[in-house]
Amino acid sequence: MSTRLTKMRWATAFGATVALALAGCSGGGEGSTSGDDPIVVGISLPLTGDFSEPGKGVQRGYQAWAKIVNDKGGLLGRQVELKILDDQSNADRVVSDYEQLIGQDQVDIVVGPFSTRLVVPAARVAEEYGMLFVEPAGAAKEVFEQGFKNLFYAAPAVANDHYNHLAEYILALPAGQRPTTAAYAAMDDPFAQGTAYGLKEKLEAGGVRTVVDEVYPPNTTEFSGIAAKIASSKADLVVGGSQYQDGVNLIVALQQLAYQPKLAAFSTAPTSPEFAAAIGNKTEGILAPTGYTQKAPYPSNVEFVEKYTAQFGTPPEEDEANAYTTGQVVAAAITAVGCAEQGECQQKLVDWVRGNTVETVVGPLSWDATGKPKGAHMIQQWVGGEIQIVLPADAKETDIVYPKPAW
Amino acid sequence: MPSASDPATTSAARRPAVTPARAARGVLLLLVVVAALSFPSLAPNPYVLSAGILVLNYALLSTSWNFVGGFTGYISLGHGALAGLGAYGTGLLVTKAGLPSFLALLVAALVVAALAVPIGYAALRVRGASFVIVSIALVLVLLLVFQSWASFTGGSRGLTVPRPFPDLLRPEHHRVFWFLFAGLLALALLVWWLIDRSRFGLGLKAIREDEDKAESLGIPTFAYKLVVFVVSAGFTAAAGGLYALWFGDLDPVFQFSILTGSYLVLMALLGGVRSLFGPLLGALVVGTALEYFKVEYGSTPLHLVATGLLLAVVVLFMPDGVLPAVAAGIDRFRPAQQSIREVTAAELREQRAGGAAAETELAGARPGGAPATKEGA
Amino acid sequence: MTSGALIFQSVILGLLLGGLYALLASGLTLYFGIMRVVMIAHSAFLILAAYLAWWSQTRLGVDPLLSLVVTVPLFFAAGVLLQRGLLSRLRPATLTMMSVLLTFAIAVIIEGLLGYAFTGTQRRIQLGYGTANLELLGARIAVVKLIAFGLAVAALLTLYLLLKRTTFGWALRATIQHPDAARLVGIDTNRVAGYGFGIGLATAAVGGTALALDTTIYPSLHWHWIGPLMAIIVVGGLGSVPGAAAAAMVLGLTQSLLQIPLNTTWAQTIFYLALFATLAFRPQGFFGGRLAQRF
Repeated sequence: MSTRLTKMRWATAFGATVALALAGCSGGGEGSTSGDDPIVVGISLPLTGDFSEPGKGVQRGYQAWAKIVNDKGGLLGRQVELKILDDQSNADRVVSDYEQLIGQDQVDIVVGPFSTRLVVPAARVAEEYGMLFVEPAGAAKEVFEQGFKNLFYAAPAVANDHYNHLAEYILALPAGQRPTTAAYAAMDDPFAQGTAYGLKEKLEAGGVRTVVDEVYPPNTTEFSGIAAKIASSKADLVVGGSQYQDGVNLIVALQQLAYQPKLAAFSTAPTSPEFAAAIGNKTEGILAPTGYTQKAPYPSNVEFVEKYTAQFGTPPEEDEANAYTTGQVVAAAITAVGCAEQGECQQKLVDWVRGNTVETVVGPLSWDATGKPKGAHMIQQWVGGEIQIVLPADAKETDIVYPKPAW
Repeated sequence: MPSASDPATTSAARRPAVTPARAARGVLLLLVVVAALSFPSLAPNPYVLSAGILVLNYALLSTSWNFVGGFTGYISLGHGALAGLGAYGTGLLVTKAGLPSFLALLVAALVVAALAVPIGYAALRVRGASFVIVSIALVLVLLLVFQSWASFTGGSRGLTVPRPFPDLLRPEHHRVFWFLFAGLLALALLVWWLIDRSRFGLGLKAIREDEDKAESLGIPTFAYKLVVFVVSAGFTAAAGGLYALWFGDLDPVFQFSILTGSYLVLMALLGGVRSLFGPLLGALVVGTALEYFKVEYGSTPLHLVATGLLLAVVVLFMPDGVLPAVAAGIDRFRPAQQSIREVTAAELREQRAGGAAAETELAGARPGGAPATKEGA
Repeated sequence: MTSGALIFQSVILGLLLGGLYALLASGLTLYFGIMRVVMIAHSAFLILAAYLAWWSQTRLGVDPLLSLVVTVPLFFAAGVLLQRGLLSRLRPATLTMMSVLLTFAIAVIIEGLLGYAFTGTQRRIQLGYGTANLELLGARIAVVKLIAFGLAVAALLTLYLLLKRTTFGWALRATIQHPDAARLVGIDTNRVAGYGFGIGLATAAVGGTALALDTTIYPSLHWHWIGPLMAIIVVGGLGSVPGAAAAAMVLGLTQSLLQIPLNTTWAQTIFYLALFATLAFRPQGFFGGRLAQRF
């Protein structure tokens, strides 16, 4: 092997690589802070992968928010522009996405991704760059135990409090009617498991015995084993800490085993528009918590439902509403403080959100020192082929059906 | 199929005098060192630096992989799992046992190296196919264990590893870790180089070329394979541990991913498994390309297709590596091949001078060629 | 605590699952027998077939079972092409290692293309009879699972008859047992090997359709299948089709029963425990032939 050849080979290859590296990195780079430029809002969302269904809902919510704000002339006279990256439901990606948004694309504002699992790493990046971080999905209590100072959850309640109204209802039933045994199956995900375990804690304290307690990893597709355990336990009530597809699969597997509980509650899945078709319309009596209803009388909600429906053809669901709420919180802070850019402005925004109450589509929101909202969720039930609010009593659309009819 | 670098290395080892090949290597080494040291200040923003660290991490992993792949020819798709074990080991030792970060890293690497003994025992007793199956199974079973054993590992919620330097801002944090990764890579390269020149290395390469003949020549093939597998596992785990300290969030799905293992194989094959810097070079190309793909086509899984196609092309047409194949291609167009022994002292001096000139030229050109340098930004 | 009914229910679920494993593992072991190739892409083709079944049901409104008419011949052809066009071009000396990488590359390409075409969203076929079930001595059997099991058994039986009762099967077995001798008696081993691959891939088409009937699918699902399948073929003895089928039933049943005391994820580790134990103590496998010893 000749010397020159060796040298040339290495030099060429190395040069090519460096060139590639620089080419790969010099893209983007928009965004500055001068007056008429748009306010660029950076978001990373799971548009593919495990959380793509809710991820796309959140995306639509943000898009609706940007459109409604821009139609009214923007914020501080500047248009709002969304820069959305796909994190593939992947915690590694979400970090580098926010790193890219803040460090390279120099966005003015960042808002949260979907799913608690992704919120924590993302929030850490935002925190370490000193950015305000309002997020639509980090509902589990762990999120608020990390010591974040810039994080705010834009929804009425954290996961563990979602079923509070249902727990009260069950424990208030007369002794003869009250369920005595319960089966829990939850995805190993801080949000999904948080909802189920929040209820479990309260029911156990109230004397309802836990007979099955199963945790399954995200991406589980085979539920017949779990379903067999639940069915053979003959538990009076079944609680699913689910996202979407896992909830559907578990319900189908339970129905295949002809299991008929007195009460069935699943988080998230039953509120999805595709839910009824996915389980063959055998939905009767299924319960789900929700933080949002299209019928809520708050003025901004009336506008949101109308304009969202005009833009997308269907009324908004909870994920869309949470994203919209996030936008509302950020917009309120920007308008009040009068700036939207990286640097000192961010701390002012954080201080403002911490000290104020914001009117949103889910009602007035305020936060404690850890960024946790102070509120509870409503409970919906499938009654007569339609999902309706049944708890709490002052917000109900129809009476709760208990024990639930056969599915 | 002698490799491109072997004859040069062995002849260089035999002669104490500085040969042109050696000089070229020195120049190259210097270039790499200069590039490594200056990158943090050249990177236009922290994102580029963090992307650079990812590439460096790949280079380190791929070099660690090459202890097994390069010397013995056994292709492991499971090194992602060893890195994951190192990462989780480090993270758990810090969070559960309260060890200082870098002590935890060292202990984790040693523990994984020890664990590699039984794994290697099952995997290496039999040839080829079983080794690959075990390496893949290792990734899959560890994924299940780390997902299920939630009370210990954090399960699918992941594990948060505390920062070793909590006071550093993010850009500073990246800068420190860039040098840590580069240091560990230098150590791995040094060990690889030492083995390459040793009798032990010779035995390993004999296994690669023909395991039956090696065995009949009295080489304790099983012991050799096992030792080098353990060394490889130790380095891989250390790389994983360093990643855990840098990145801070571990999730079983990404720590125990077959895809990571396949990237390492692709990088090493691309750069050439028989040369010291092959995996490093492959990592620069593949790692940069991966990051580029994710930035440009982030919302589609096309990077998977690109990875697959590249791997298939390499396997089908250039199993000895792309760069060696390119070099061989160029070779064909050159006039008669010179042997090193035919170089006169005068020519040698000339070439050495030329090499030095090229070095200064390149070194001078690089900072100027980099866009918008922000010192300390 | 554990009721007899639950155990009986789990046995039934385990047998139904084992049938599917047996079919899929038989294809994988066939490739190994023919060419000493560990075909990583087998389960990726499985998911591809499942997607085709899903697609034909949701977009064309055709019953997923009917998609078999297209997928089986298509996959057979793909298998022949794969063997003749790609795998047979690799150097014999490094065939085992390089074929793993090549089939790995194919798996990743399929996964990427599936993700590109259908996104990473989980998909599930919605059948009118999706939750229909039969009762057997207190246990419930879902009709879809029964159909899937029936498909697997029918395919396995066909494969068995093909191998044992036809001239082609005789040639294929000869090729597996001793390729050189097979060539001497006038068997065109290249051609036979190609067809063998085609048949292996056709089993993936059937298996994918059976899979799609009752589970959710997504592009990266194939990694969850390749591990158990590889474990099955090692435990069964590399290259032995009856060994793979036996190991599949035993391990499928064990997995299902282990789900009672353990959770679903821990129960899956049985495959890998069996794999490591087999390699450490009995590398030639428990049910199979002598082939495995040298690999």
